[in-house]
Amino acid sequence: MGGLAGAFYVAFIGLPIVALLARAAQQDDLWGAVTGDLALTALRLSLATSLISMAVVIAGGTPFAYLLARSDSWIARAVDGLVELPIVLPPVVAGVAMLMAFGRGGVIGGLLDNAGVQIPFTMTAVVFAQIFVAAPFYVRAAKLGFQSVARDYEDVSQTLGVSPMETFRRITLPLAAPAIITGLGLSWARAIAEFGATMMFAGNLMGETQTMPLAIMTAMETSRGLDSALALSALLLAVSVLALGTLTFASRRRWSGRL
Amino acid sequence: MSAASGSQGWLHCRVGDFELRIDWAVEAGRTLVLFGPSGSGKTTALRGMAGLVRPVAGRVEIGGQIVYDSASPLWIPAHRRRVGYLTQQYHLFPHLNLARNIAYGMEPVRNKGASRRLDELLDTFQLRGLEERYPWELSGGQQQRAALARAIAAEPRLLLLDEPFSALDAGLRRALRQELRTTLERNPIPVVLVTHDREEALSLGDDVQVMENGRTVAQGTPVEILGQPGQATVARLVGVENLFRMRVESRHPRDGTMRLVGEGRLAGFALEAPLDGGPPAPGAEDRVTVGIRASDIILSLEEPAGTSARNRIPGSVVHVEPRPPGYTVELDCGVPLRCQVTGASLEEMEIRTGQRLWAVFKASSCFLVGGNAADHSPTGEAGENGGCPECETT
Repeated sequence: MGGLAGAFYVAFIGLPIVALLARAAQQDDLWGAVTGDLALTALRLSLATSLISMAVVIAGGTPFAYLLARSDSWIARAVDGLVELPIVLPPVVAGVAMLMAFGRGGVIGGLLDNAGVQIPFTMTAVVFAQIFVAAPFYVRAAKLGFQSVARDYEDVSQTLGVSPMETFRRITLPLAAPAIITGLGLSWARAIAEFGATMMFAGNLMGETQTMPLAIMTAMETSRGLDSALALSALLLAVSVLALGTLTFASRRRWSGRL
Repeated sequence: MSAASGSQGWLHCRVGDFELRIDWAVEAGRTLVLFGPSGSGKTTALRGMAGLVRPVAGRVEIGGQIVYDSASPLWIPAHRRRVGYLTQQYHLFPHLNLARNIAYGMEPVRNKGASRRLDELLDTFQLRGLEERYPWELSGGQQQRAALARAIAAEPRLLLLDEPFSALDAGLRRALRQELRTTLERNPIPVVLVTHDREEALSLGDDVQVMENGRTVAQGTPVEILGQPGQATVARLVGVENLFRMRVESRHPRDGTMRLVGEGRLAGFALEAPLDGGPPAPGAEDRVTVGIRASDIILSLEEPAGTSARNRIPGSVVHVEPRPPGYTVELDCGVPLRCQVTGASLEEMEIRTGQRLWAVFKASSCFLVGGNAADHSPTGEAGENGGCPECETT
């Protein structure tokens, strides 16, 4: 019973992917399409924005996740619930919400405008949208990672003369690393796939806000579009699999599961 | 022996609803045992000394330096107190091999002196050849030694041991206990050891504080406290299996003994016990509470003849239950009497339920317990006992 269900599952997920790759490979000039201006511009933008997003998510999300993991105050517990809200929020709604906050007529949009800062429909907006939807995946995984590190390790480290900050660097972080890296992978995958919020909040300007998913949709709408969309899709798939494979490899530890 | 290198102080800690109040003083080279059931606040006391919990109030002195004083106020954080802390599960860092674990609190190992010290520690703790192993590749005993070596490597001024043997089996426990003693002799620092194991307290402690519900209920030398505890509460905590409230029938100053008889449900049960201070004031009740250790009772298949033991009491076996390292046999002698035997004796004598046996013990094995034993049921270490015959009637 379980085996049969498993077979269906694999076929259900696998068939479309195989079909995509097979159909892309049939093209006369796949290489040309993949290395074309449209593809490379979008890929470059996707990689740049998602890397910036991840840098921000790591810098802010790591200490925040640690705080959530260690604090048992009611405030921390309340915030804990809010952290995961973006995971269930439809991305399009997130995009509208961000417009209402940072848009020209938004809550703080006017202030920003007066200061000469414009966020909507810029590369910054792309990064904002990605952080909004992707950060919860990282924070949640990192929090669980930190929780799996017994406080006693930190206590023992301190009695051995190592300050709390150094203890975090030498003990807590390495022990939570597998979970953190897994979270980073999920978060990055979510950022690079971001579509709805970006569309709403950042628009679809080639070279400025047109990331890979937006480029694929745009290609589909043009005349000889399907071939181009297939090439972009195959490229995005390849880059994602490569990145996630690397992260999975990096998160392997000899001592995994021995905390 | 200098007080300057010892540790002393007092602490008032609150963890949730739990309150701990303790004061202590331990000299360098001596071991203070905090003895008590789980939940009595022993571990919190250690964490308070180490600076791992914020006390409500207190004062902690380690190696002549005051590291915490709520009156000043002064607070030196844990990592600058130089206190070694050995947890029950050792908490060796799983991502570091044994050598790196031990060297963790030392100056960088590249330093010549430090690497020589690491070598010494590996030899002392018999861990040579295991440097590259990870914690889970070590046996329980090796893990325990490694954790101790790691603590010693950081040159602590006070060593805190939280049930250091509880994760080990009985045989290993004895061997490592001996080792620990040698280690402590070689490193004359003050030690505070937490345990609920009487044997451990007796073999390692220079002083014992019995704790219950966050308070010290008794203190003294291990033999005073654990051999013949003076109060019923303490007797119950340290696991005296047999406690009886009895009437003094007659005193025999020439023998240094007295004859005790039971009343009510205990009628027909009589003992010879060491002589007390003398009869009470006229009109007062001439009653005492007497305790007998299960391990002080010898079981015999026939009535023993030609023995110096004053107490020879027949009874039938009610039940037998394992109590490592042996078995507890409960005899019905008119009152339930708990006796401790080894597995070998149990087999050799073919002890089984309903069998008639003789319990034999010296008058001096009976010790008088202060306080009112009837207020408490005598519990063993795990609280599994309930053999106080007076508990239901009073």
